[in-house]
Amino acid sequence: MPSIPVTYNLRNIRVRWRTTIATVLGVALVVSVFVMVMALARGLKSTYVQTGDPRNLLVMRRGSTAESSSQIMREEMIRMKYLPGIARDAQDRPYFSPEIIVLIYLNRLDAQGGANVIVRGMGEMGLAVRPNIVLSEGRMFQSGRRECVVSRRVANRFANCLIGQSFRAGKAEWTVVGIFEAGKSAYESEIWADADEVRDAFNRNFYGSALIRPVDDAASAALVRRIESDRTLSARVLKETDYYKDQTKTAGPIQFMGGFLATIMSIGAAFSAMNTMYAAVGARTREIGTLRVLGFKRRSIYLSFLLESVLLAGLGGVIGCLMSLPLNGVATGTFSWTSFSEVAFEFRITPDLLGKGMMFALVMGVLGGLLPARMAARKPVLVALKT
Amino acid sequence: MTIAGFILRNALRNKRRLTLTILSVSLSLFLFTTLQTALRELTQPPSTSDSALRLITRHRVSLANVLPEKYQYRIQQVPGVEVVSKFTWFGGIYQDEKNFFPQFAVEPEKIFRIFTEAKVDPLELDAFIKERTACIVGIKTMERFGWKIGDRITLRGTIWDCNPELVIRGVYREGIDETNLFFHHDYFNELMNDLGVTGTFWLRVRDEAAVQPVIDAIDASFRNSDAETKTETERAFQLGFVSMFGNIKMLIGSISTVIVFTMVLVTASTMSMAIRERMRELAVLKAIGFNGRQVFSLILAESFGLAMAGGLLGCVGAWALFSNIDVYKATQGFFIKFDVTPHILASGLLLAGLLGAISCIAPAWASIRMSVVTGLKETD
Repeated sequence: MPSIPVTYNLRNIRVRWRTTIATVLGVALVVSVFVMVMALARGLKSTYVQTGDPRNLLVMRRGSTAESSSQIMREEMIRMKYLPGIARDAQDRPYFSPEIIVLIYLNRLDAQGGANVIVRGMGEMGLAVRPNIVLSEGRMFQSGRRECVVSRRVANRFANCLIGQSFRAGKAEWTVVGIFEAGKSAYESEIWADADEVRDAFNRNFYGSALIRPVDDAASAALVRRIESDRTLSARVLKETDYYKDQTKTAGPIQFMGGFLATIMSIGAAFSAMNTMYAAVGARTREIGTLRVLGFKRRSIYLSFLLESVLLAGLGGVIGCLMSLPLNGVATGTFSWTSFSEVAFEFRITPDLLGKGMMFALVMGVLGGLLPARMAARKPVLVALKT
Repeated sequence: MTIAGFILRNALRNKRRLTLTILSVSLSLFLFTTLQTALRELTQPPSTSDSALRLITRHRVSLANVLPEKYQYRIQQVPGVEVVSKFTWFGGIYQDEKNFFPQFAVEPEKIFRIFTEAKVDPLELDAFIKERTACIVGIKTMERFGWKIGDRITLRGTIWDCNPELVIRGVYREGIDETNLFFHHDYFNELMNDLGVTGTFWLRVRDEAAVQPVIDAIDASFRNSDAETKTETERAFQLGFVSMFGNIKMLIGSISTVIVFTMVLVTASTMSMAIRERMRELAVLKAIGFNGRQVFSLILAESFGLAMAGGLLGCVGAWALFSNIDVYKATQGFFIKFDVTPHILASGLLLAGLLGAISCIAPAWASIRMSVVTGLKETD
């Protein structure tokens, strides 16, 4: 292990603060842009990953790729509802919710345009099959009434969605009677009401999908086989969690953008780091000569300059990560092509994302330092001392 | 030696630094140009004089709700309406989900009287109109799948429970989105057992004066019905889509700002490096009679030239790149076009110019303020 004049490098960073500050900030900005854009993609993905209960089964019409385009007739619903293997509650009601999705266009609270919002009509067991969701304010809608409950984020983002307020959609005026919290799942972008009221208000003579809670895994597998093999049903059954996991592809373009930006920007930042390091090597030629006379080997000089560059970039990386942190948890929303509606989510900055940002910074440091360090190490001692 | 030669020599004295600086400026401007173009493509749908005459009537609740087909008769009778076509988003899958492209069921004899900008061979159009299962496809989608006229394709319905089997009878190009596929609404209806609905109506009005009256008349005519309508211009319709994407504008805007800021930092630091190492020479210049202003203009010219070189490389490079690659294929259909407009090019170059000026101010100011004697003593 060659000895490296580490203190010398550290002092240099401090003494030449003016030249190094631009490089450090440059790297910091690249890292923070990377972390922010990736946090956006992460947040969107995790929203879908966190949606659904692994025990639940979702039934849609065969060929449908989204709940909103699926159609199941009432008779078919009733046939499925009493199939063996479906769990039952204390009153012996099966955990089975016939559902229908319609989209309505709501204005944003800040009055800048609007977005499609999902209205999910559900059966009486709708809340029971989704135990993770809690009603935090008000009460649940009553079946047979034009009432609805909205998610906390819908209440925060859209006009007329607070308890006691009402909005018009379809043939009906819907009164908001409660607000639910759905963790960070995709349900946070929905409005819930009674399935039959929704069907009536929007002239649908069919349901969209059904959500089922089987007794156990064996019953689950049996139910899938039974429903899928029933030709008259022509249905597709999948795990609720799988359905939502498939939608993580919504984050694809954002992720692509993050990678694209970070790659190009980091090349630019590596150039700037290289500039700084070359200048450092040029200005310190005499010092390099002195170090060599003091007995430091070429390899030590090489490593010491490389280390300096990596230190600079690392410092930039840390600053960049810190700069991006305040964004963690900030709520935003985007359009999902699968559901054709807005999905609300939060920026999510995770430790591994910060780790990736730091990796980026260090790679920039190494790339920027490699050539200048080689130049420093190759300087002949005598020439270096003479300058 | 001329002044220009002097500036050039100075700029070239450290070729490595020059190259690195120009490259980092050009990369930043490349990104800036790319982001601005992306922003424009996403937020400013193309508008032509024809598109101002096109209106869309949809269900008031949302695009995902359908309208009764029979509304067409009433719309047609609204004064000022020239032609109306049923227009239904089919959203089928061709072979695999990845092969996404827009498909619409339309009225074949009317559609190109609404999209008047699109170029179609009259014979092909005729063939498309005459055959019930015929379709006409935009050139981009034709090329993407290597289709030829006469090919048979099957779409698997996801929204609608049917699988149209179509034969390609024509190609259209230019004017409108070149990725669409149009097929007969009648055939769609047949497959759906005469469902009697349409997603939207697209119509063309006689002239611009008729736009607002037609919008008002149509919407008023269906007020308080089971399916109330919302009629808007093509542009408003497209902007509605953009607003659904959320605050993408802010996101791209803030990233651009960060890039510009980084760029200023990097160039300013290089310029100050370049100036500090020649404090002595600048003092000599002043000693032999150049005044502060002249020295400043020498530095400014060098910095400006450097930034402009980077700017030209970045902006023009972006323009050359995007006009030579097929962005539609590269982004898998996310961007249909990616035009670096003269406006964007100009703002990129303007930015480069400003950058050159701003980044040399601080170091140049320091060198001018310094007395000749101090400058001459400088050894670094």
